[in-house]
Amino acid sequence: MRGFELVRPATLEEAIRLLDTDDPTVRPLSGGTAIMQMMKTGIFKPSRLVSLSSLAGDHSAITLDDKGFLSIGAMTTLAAVEHSQVVLQHAPLLPKVMKRLANVRVRNAATVGGALAHGDPHMDLPPVLAALDAEVIAQGPGGQRRIPVADLYAGYFETVLQRGEIIASVSVPPRNGCNSVYRKTTTRTADDWPALGVATSLGRGEGVLQHVRLFASAATERMTRLGSAEAHLRGNRPEAKLLEEAGRIAAQEVEVIDDAHGSAAYKVALVAVQVRRALHEALQQGSEQ
Amino acid sequence: MNIRPELTNHQIGRSVPRLEGPEKVSGRASYVHNLKLPGMLYAKIFRSTVAHGRILSIDVSAARMMEGVEHVFTGEDVKTIVPNPYFGPAFHDQPVLAIDKVHFVGEPVAVVLARDPYVAAEAAQLITAEYEELPAVFDEVEAMHSKAVVHEELKPAGTFPDLKHLAGRKDTNIALDYHLRRGDPVAGFAQAVHVFEHEFRTQQVMHVPLEPMVTLAEPHHNTIIIHTASQSPSFVRIEIARLLGWPENRVQVKVPHLGGGFGAKLYIKLEALAACAALLAGAPVKVMLPMEEQFYTITKHASTFRIKSGVDHEGRLLARHCEVYWNGGAFADIGPRVTQKSGFTAPGPYDIDNVSIDSYALYTNRPPAGALRGFGIPQLVWAYESHTDIIAHELGIDPIEFRRRNILRDDRPQATGTPMTDAAVDAVLEKIAECMQWESGSRRKSDDPTKRFGRGMAIGFKASISPTTSVAVVNVAADGSVVLQLSTVDMGQGSDTAMAQIVAEILEVAAEDVRIVHPDTDVTPYDMATLGSRSTFHMGHAVRLAAEDAKRKLEELAHAMGFTDHAVWQPRDLFRRKYGMQAGNVIGVGTFIPEYRSPDPENGQSDKVTPFWMIGGTGVELEVDVETGHFRILRMINVADLGTPLNPRIVETQLSGASMMQLGFTMFEEMRLDAGQVTNASLADYKIPGIQDVPDAIENEIVAAHQSNGPFGAKGVGETATFGVSPAIANALFDAVGVRLTQLPLTPEAVFMAMRAKEGAASGV
Repeated sequence: MRGFELVRPATLEEAIRLLDTDDPTVRPLSGGTAIMQMMKTGIFKPSRLVSLSSLAGDHSAITLDDKGFLSIGAMTTLAAVEHSQVVLQHAPLLPKVMKRLANVRVRNAATVGGALAHGDPHMDLPPVLAALDAEVIAQGPGGQRRIPVADLYAGYFETVLQRGEIIASVSVPPRNGCNSVYRKTTTRTADDWPALGVATSLGRGEGVLQHVRLFASAATERMTRLGSAEAHLRGNRPEAKLLEEAGRIAAQEVEVIDDAHGSAAYKVALVAVQVRRALHEALQQGSEQ
Repeated sequence: MNIRPELTNHQIGRSVPRLEGPEKVSGRASYVHNLKLPGMLYAKIFRSTVAHGRILSIDVSAARMMEGVEHVFTGEDVKTIVPNPYFGPAFHDQPVLAIDKVHFVGEPVAVVLARDPYVAAEAAQLITAEYEELPAVFDEVEAMHSKAVVHEELKPAGTFPDLKHLAGRKDTNIALDYHLRRGDPVAGFAQAVHVFEHEFRTQQVMHVPLEPMVTLAEPHHNTIIIHTASQSPSFVRIEIARLLGWPENRVQVKVPHLGGGFGAKLYIKLEALAACAALLAGAPVKVMLPMEEQFYTITKHASTFRIKSGVDHEGRLLARHCEVYWNGGAFADIGPRVTQKSGFTAPGPYDIDNVSIDSYALYTNRPPAGALRGFGIPQLVWAYESHTDIIAHELGIDPIEFRRRNILRDDRPQATGTPMTDAAVDAVLEKIAECMQWESGSRRKSDDPTKRFGRGMAIGFKASISPTTSVAVVNVAADGSVVLQLSTVDMGQGSDTAMAQIVAEILEVAAEDVRIVHPDTDVTPYDMATLGSRSTFHMGHAVRLAAEDAKRKLEELAHAMGFTDHAVWQPRDLFRRKYGMQAGNVIGVGTFIPEYRSPDPENGQSDKVTPFWMIGGTGVELEVDVETGHFRILRMINVADLGTPLNPRIVETQLSGASMMQLGFTMFEEMRLDAGQVTNASLADYKIPGIQDVPDAIENEIVAAHQSNGPFGAKGVGETATFGVSPAIANALFDAVGVRLTQLPLTPEAVFMAMRAKEGAASGV
């Protein structure tokens, strides 16, 4: 890796213009925690990096609107999310997840937008935000659109973002009495990339599960919604047997890959256990309130 | 003589804070990585992409043409200044750059030099090489008889007399076969009521010093200065001088602070390439490896250990056979010494009359393996203490009780015939039992039905590499201040502080006031190397002798200057009286080599195979998640016999540090290979333990002991807490969930699959 061009647009519009190209060696740079690694190991050789650092001022606010929607600017660092009182109050799962997301050095540099746009299935934020029904606000040459985080990923390191499109912010809806849990399983050290991530959000009414969100990541090629398990749970009384069945259904429906974190057979077994445990944990949280 | 009368000695046994601490925590300590010289060129190594192959061609033209590239060299260029450019401590099998063939993926083939390291890196990617691929061998057991032969001919270095007979041996991957026979193993097994036989394996791992290897060679008129992160400056000087055909005094090796070594920076690593490149280029050359490339430089032996024991009806071990295969990778490095010097402890700290050991150093087409904290001992203890636990359980004897019946006590001879003098095996065992409240059996139970509690322990021992020499110089200035010159490398283990304490004790000054000169072979005298927990004992003695020599000379000077025996004087008074002003020096010199007797080449017997024994053991309490196989260490107790500690606080950090390092090798670390290619050569994919992986409690216990031939009763400790960790964890896992793992690392998946297999077997599925 030798030379490349580093440009620092002052506005989002200018950044979009600079990124509106077919050249795959032109990439945006926010926290740089992932792309710098790829550059150092020679996996990625940029001709031009479009640094978004000048946009941080306008795009790193955490705000709450009058309808209870939390907005997090894409340039907000993970550490800022971790320590925000507003986030703690309205999406308490997020600061909790941060404690075991990478390490403090990465969290100080990495941004929410970058963590979502990178597309690595091992990232923790996508399943968590998806379970919270969050949407990204993407801005591109054709204007602005909202994409549910649940629908953001097209494949391995692949998002549905179009040419020139940048995530400007993330919108997290109010909790409406739902309880959310993220369970991260590592198979080597505690600070390793997850072998499996399971995120869930549950809402109860009239003794049955009304609102159910269930996502798996890391063990899969891309973040995956566990639709069959969700359907099995929805409208039913959350008894131990039901949660057990949901875990088993999740393990059946999910397409798990073999990798350095473990064999597919092992990770399928982990899915059944961790889905069940995540559901239990969310229900327990609910009953404690 | 008393410069600071309030001290009245007591420098030994005092937890003196590390002398280098303030310099390091304030970021002022200098490392080779920080060193820049005018006109310096950065090197980038182009490495082999095949595991075994004949080199057909190397095309460096595109790299050479790249703007900013100063030089590109291959093995042929090296030959113009070093006709026979092969090096290594035991075998001269490692070329500076590949010649004719390559032996593993990652072997250095060419080097690019540029003023800008990024230019050098980019140019190295433009180099291409064509190979005729040869059959390769990766497994140590297969290497015994494989058709793939890594080296055409064995080339022992000649430095070790017992390797000379191997010269010129062809068509073999066995770099060294070591054999020990004691008693009559055949008869012993014949008498046995029970015979147990198991096989245990360990994986290839790496040292991961956080300061990657780095060397800067600086050529001068007819000398060369080598600034290097090395644990063995004296060896580097000798080996570079040999390669160049120069006298030692034209090679100066300087070592500043090291950011960890653990055996990775021993003997000779990047120094030969840096020296050759600098001489060819006529400019200073810095070779600095990124973290990733360390995995292609030196590693820890993968191993296979087949162990067989015969036991009588009272649970006494009658006979033991040990067959150990060490995967040495493509270059022998110090592997033959691991095979032999650790090999002879393979039967464990047990009193067994009939023993046979066959230990083999094998070449394979993997990255080379050498010394790593424990020098082969952790691989051996892993096997013999797992084996011991299995035997105890199968015989229905408590594992600690079984050991009590069999350990080496008092001065009983070990397998080599050398007595276990000052070796507190029983005290270590009993301390573990006490700390774990083993007998009262207070077993914790979890409220959570998915968790199972387990406990396990293991003990091990190690001999010191022998015979080796250390030399030290104590220089007293005319104001009485003291400088210690020594070639021991303080890479974080605290040797500077411990050696200063020894000088201070004898010369009656404060350890904090002794200045240490870091290794510089123009100034600091010979030391074999900083390895194998040898410094406290060997260099400790040399430093003691040097300080005593200086003290004697001061006393003689006092006498000559007319001070009576009972007069109170300070050194500066002597110099002033002698020279009429603040002038002169008193130089004390100390040289130490322990007693040693070479083992009988026929049966490996010797009554003085080591100057001291290191004894260590670990107890583990853990909790297994039966649904996922994950386990958490609740408590890890490390117990050591290290003689009398010179600096208790530093010793304790040595114990906890060593145990954590071995915990990483036990639970997480593994170099994964695909056709000889390391697939996880980065800290993102090769995971070393972090702060969250530290057990809930680590307790370090030093048993009361005295090494009677050691300096102030002390002996080495750097490796002792590595010995028992792996088998203690495996034994605790067995205790918790009833599954026996025989291959490291002990991953959650391995535990899970073993539990599933056991359930399957139980239910007949």
